[in-house]
Amino acid sequence: MKAILLAGMIGIWATGAMAHSPLDATTPANEATVTEMPTEVLMGFKGDIRLTRVVITHAETHSMDMDLGEQTAFTQEFALPMHDMGAGTYVIEWRGLGVDGHALNGSFSFTVE
Amino acid sequence: MPDTLGLAAIVTKFALYLGVMTAAGTVMATLMFRLDRTRGLAAAFAVLGLTATILAFSLRGANLTGDLSGMTDPEMLGLLWTTPVGTALLLRLVGLGLLIAGLFMGRVGAWVSALGGVVAIWSFDHVGHISSRDTTLLDIALTLHLLTVALWIGVLTPLKRLASIPDTFNIAANVGHRFGVVATVTVPVLIIVGGYMGYQLVGSFTALIGTGYGQALIIKVLLIGALLGLAAANKLRFIPALRAGDPAAASHLSKSISVEWLVILAVLGTTAVLTTHLTLPT
Repeated sequence: MKAILLAGMIGIWATGAMAHSPLDATTPANEATVTEMPTEVLMGFKGDIRLTRVVITHAETHSMDMDLGEQTAFTQEFALPMHDMGAGTYVIEWRGLGVDGHALNGSFSFTVE
Repeated sequence: MPDTLGLAAIVTKFALYLGVMTAAGTVMATLMFRLDRTRGLAAAFAVLGLTATILAFSLRGANLTGDLSGMTDPEMLGLLWTTPVGTALLLRLVGLGLLIAGLFMGRVGAWVSALGGVVAIWSFDHVGHISSRDTTLLDIALTLHLLTVALWIGVLTPLKRLASIPDTFNIAANVGHRFGVVATVTVPVLIIVGGYMGYQLVGSFTALIGTGYGQALIIKVLLIGALLGLAAANKLRFIPALRAGDPAAASHLSKSISVEWLVILAVLGTTAVLTTHLTLPT
């Protein structure tokens, strides 16, 4: 009985997708390839959210926390200034809080040629 | 699989459900069935509920930063406080605080404790999948569901204790009989509102079978089915036998309650996974 329950639980955990990713669109788009480093990244959400942490990783080596000092409201559109770290893939991992109190998170990436 | 923080959130949610539901249920059952010596039980589970309430809130802070620093980050916790999560925290602290204070206030205290239990239970209307639907009927359904579940959980340990001492066999039979009468109303309510909420949240047979949320709900319903079987055995066999003066029925009842407790722990655990880790089918 215990084994069946445990197997069931593990099965459920495994199939449960990571909760709540209401990111509507980004510029550059997810997995896009661009020729020039953008000066800022735009993130548009389906609902109001307050970003709480954004980490940018360049070419799987350099990670940096973005300064969110000026993002102090619940809103749908964010423009985050980018630092040019050269060509390669940039992965942006974000965390935030929805107005309903739900923690939200997700990630997207783009490549600079 | 959830990460470490996700796992901690599920375990904390389980402790929160266990603490709030058992504490609230114990004070409700005490008032309804005029039970004695339940203060320690209610206080212990209320303290568990309070601890889990604070830890769960703090863990939400960690979810916002992605590391443990968020658990004590004043900016993150302050931000959470402004959302419905903060309202739920306040209701739980006030509710469980009232519940504990009432335990030390004599006769009136029983009502204060019960009020505190209801406030703590009502907090669950403010966060989660039900609150995001924003319909009053679903809110009422959830509150009714939780109150009936709490009463069921609350009567178990005092009844088991009464059925363990020959001197109180007759009281056990009496309380068990009266709970059985109440249950003829509360159990159908529990099933109807549970079915209604499940239908509203999952919505289709395909989603029930094909999503993790639906599958967890099926596990929950199967466990509840087992619980109903045990409850039926208590109501139809052991309690009548105990009332007729059969001492062997007391030990059957006591064992049956122990198994009921195990199934209830599994139900609360499944619920914690449902509400913490799994997303609703869309």
